[in-house]
Amino acid sequence: MEKMILKKKNLPEFVEKALKEYRVIAPTDNEGIIVFKEITNPSEMMLNYANTRIPAKSVLLQQTETLFTFSQGKTVAVTSPEVNDKTLIVGLRPCDAQSLAILDHVFGGDYSDPYVEKRENTILVGLTCLNPEITCFCTSTGGGPSCAEYTDVQLTDIGENYYVEVVTDKGKTLTERASGLFAPAAEADERKKKELEEKAQNAITRTMHTDGIAEKLEEIFESPFWRKIALKCLGCAACTYVCPTCHCFDMQDETAGTRGARIRVWDSCMYPEYTVHASGHNPRPERMNRVRNRVYHKFNYFPKNCNVIACVGCGRGIEVCPVNVDIIDVIDKAREVNL
Amino acid sequence: MVNTDELRKTAKEIVEREDVKYVIGYEKGTYGCRISPSFAFSPEDADKFVFSPLCVQNLAVYPLLEEKLPLKRGEEEDMRKVGIVVKGCDSRAVAQIFQEKGLDREDVILIGVCCTGVIDLKKLATQFPEPLEGLEVTEENGNFVLTANGITKTIPKEELLLRTCIHCENPTPVVYDVLLGEEVAPSKEDYQKVKELEEKSLEEKWEYWEKKFERCIRCYACRNVCPLCYCKECMVDHLSPQWVRRSVNLSENAAWNIMRAFHLAGRCIGCGACEQACPVDIPLMEINKKLEKDMKELFDYEAATEEEKSLLTMFKPDDPGEFIL
Amino acid sequence: MTTTETSVTGAPNPYVPQLAEIDEVFDEVIGERAIKTFRFSFCDEKVQNQFTFMPGQCVMVSAMGEGECMFALSSSPTETDYLEVSVMKLGKVTSVLHDYEPGDIIGVRGPYGNGFDVKGWKGKNIITVGGGIGQPPLRSLIWYILDNRKDYGKLDVIYGARTSNDLSFKQEFFDLEKRNGVDVHLSIDVEEDGWTRFVGFVPDNLLAVAPSPENAVAITCGPPIMIHFVIQNLLKLGFTDEQIYTTLEMRMKCGIGKCGRCNIGNVYVCKDGPVFSYAQLEKMKGER
Repeated sequence: MEKMILKKKNLPEFVEKALKEYRVIAPTDNEGIIVFKEITNPSEMMLNYANTRIPAKSVLLQQTETLFTFSQGKTVAVTSPEVNDKTLIVGLRPCDAQSLAILDHVFGGDYSDPYVEKRENTILVGLTCLNPEITCFCTSTGGGPSCAEYTDVQLTDIGENYYVEVVTDKGKTLTERASGLFAPAAEADERKKKELEEKAQNAITRTMHTDGIAEKLEEIFESPFWRKIALKCLGCAACTYVCPTCHCFDMQDETAGTRGARIRVWDSCMYPEYTVHASGHNPRPERMNRVRNRVYHKFNYFPKNCNVIACVGCGRGIEVCPVNVDIIDVIDKAREVNL
Repeated sequence: MVNTDELRKTAKEIVEREDVKYVIGYEKGTYGCRISPSFAFSPEDADKFVFSPLCVQNLAVYPLLEEKLPLKRGEEEDMRKVGIVVKGCDSRAVAQIFQEKGLDREDVILIGVCCTGVIDLKKLATQFPEPLEGLEVTEENGNFVLTANGITKTIPKEELLLRTCIHCENPTPVVYDVLLGEEVAPSKEDYQKVKELEEKSLEEKWEYWEKKFERCIRCYACRNVCPLCYCKECMVDHLSPQWVRRSVNLSENAAWNIMRAFHLAGRCIGCGACEQACPVDIPLMEINKKLEKDMKELFDYEAATEEEKSLLTMFKPDDPGEFIL
Repeated sequence: MTTTETSVTGAPNPYVPQLAEIDEVFDEVIGERAIKTFRFSFCDEKVQNQFTFMPGQCVMVSAMGEGECMFALSSSPTETDYLEVSVMKLGKVTSVLHDYEPGDIIGVRGPYGNGFDVKGWKGKNIITVGGGIGQPPLRSLIWYILDNRKDYGKLDVIYGARTSNDLSFKQEFFDLEKRNGVDVHLSIDVEEDGWTRFVGFVPDNLLAVAPSPENAVAITCGPPIMIHFVIQNLLKLGFTDEQIYTTLEMRMKCGIGKCGRCNIGNVYVCKDGPVFSYAQLEKMKGER
């Protein structure tokens, strides 16, 4: 792995260079809420943040996306959109990068979703987390504040400079084009980086015990424990929309006269309408069913299908839930349940 | 302040009654400053109850969220009562629901708590960014005294209070079976922020709200946390015709937020739970308060009254009608 | 019959349907819970020629502008000139589809799902037990077997509905009654003038027919309550868990296991189903 430094004051120039070739997406500040948006100017970037409210999945699986447009009448024509050009996501956290690796399992495979081509055309420049929040628990889900496994280039803020790790070949093509802005990293830089990373790692106070969780959940599906947990859940979609690994979507036709589009939008398994049949039958009629399904999807069903739990420990779900439904608390309590 | 022992004792007495299913209160949350709704089915459960300025949620949302499970053969519906701990605003929500016949007075037992205001957790995060493990909150001379992790901060209440608490007109519950704590003198709502917005030009208003509605992710946390949003089928879930498209964009988001506010006109009791729940910080109370002000000015009407019918379910010949004529 | 000009262009993605023209519409059941069979062929001849599927597989049919629904193909794959789906008028999209006429254009994508194990069942005796709107996928299987007759053993078709008016493909099955190589056992729930066949529920008809489990496979499709009793009776007759198959249905949107909603546990009904053996079903944890 190539290790370099990039002077902080050179970052805007790096982004300017990138803007000539890529669509650049970075965290931006909308009145205190940090969200990923396309930028046309490096000054729009906001890198002094804990974590974005809306995760990086919003770039590759947009909340509203047109699958194809159609027109009816004498001619019926269906047109599907071309996939976006080369994209660069700058400044995403390791947890978000890890979530994309998880979403790859969903959208790849036999049928190649538009997500796949977008993903192939996207380069990830990650930003190491130096100040984890009280809700963070990425160290429990196979990641960490400085984890560089899932990005193409990783930046760590070591004071006046960024410590740069070039993780993949994709990342190399990016840094090579602006090679003048980089310098080799010195030992002192590396020590500073390790020091900050250790501090960040130790700042994470909450842990979720995930070993053997899929097996444990397998045993307690019928437990009344789930009814208890679901009592306070309000059934909104806040947790699912801010969750980096949630991927459920709805498809609807929207028309204006004879023209229209089939769009897909984020959907949530927490809504009762999610699974209701035309006959009125609902396989998950109660909140208990839906809460249990969500927990199982992330910690039992997904691991059964793809060998990885579908949670990256970003803590957003814990933070936004208005009634303090806390997945760490749920999993920890689930481990104690005996049928 | 409400005495915790008294609260727990009251809750235990109620939960032990034969005609009570369970009591809903607050308990310490899972981390930092969080408080969680608590369902007590037994006296042991009720021992977890707490009440502090961190108790933000409006628990009046739960009775109508209760799902009726299909009955087994020969089983009869459990018609027992539900106990709820309610602050001033929460009790008004229950009173409004009584008026709308969403609930019968006999369905619930209300443990009223006199409230001196709750803390806006978002403001707390800015004022006290250090980890809030083991947070204790007390009030002293118009300040909140917060202690966590060995750090103590004294912050004027106005800087931490949930916006809607600052000029609260009903800090003492309006309907209750038991009242805990000392009655609190009400304030007068001055609608200052609403007036500020009313002064803006149309362009300025659009610019102001565009930035906010753009952020909306249509999670409907505002709707689900609101005790007065209890339609069996919400207008946004209706498909034929589809009133609001599922597309998430400025147009649909504006439609959603404005329509919800209108559906709450004359019904919103101003608890601010929606604003606190919004994950993208949309200042929803500014719209709700505007409609509250309009209802007062146009119809001399407030939510949660003892009237037989809700204002918007009837009309009077002298109702204002400048918008028509 | 006018043929509309159609085109499908742009970057391929799995959600884009091919366009097909409705050739004919058959009224199977008129009145409440009406059922129509739509016979259609792809506008692009190449697509029509290349389209293959196994009985039991489904397609997503779009009423452009309204939405899409997953339907089991009710024609046999041995029929290459057209495809058929049988649709009950129940919700938003199916109501609009029921107004469609020959010449109208629909969107079709697929085939999806695992289909019936027609290869694995070669040489076996097949018993299909259908009720109401469950019959379409079984019809596909029945005709597939009849078109590949020597590959399979005895074929018993048990099919029933509430009244004789609710029987789909009625004339077709009356004709099959007279055909060699297949035994048809129709039933209706309540007595009717002129009905000389079995009167009673499908599970009871099954017991009356009493097919032998020897070297046999039974496939049942229909309302959940019927399936419950049919499976009970099949077990009584000596069929094992692995000899009993059924199809499940769920609300579906993407049809390819990505939108998340049709799951039962870790299984997606659109992609890993809709055909499941009873042995599989018993192991599946999750709501259905």
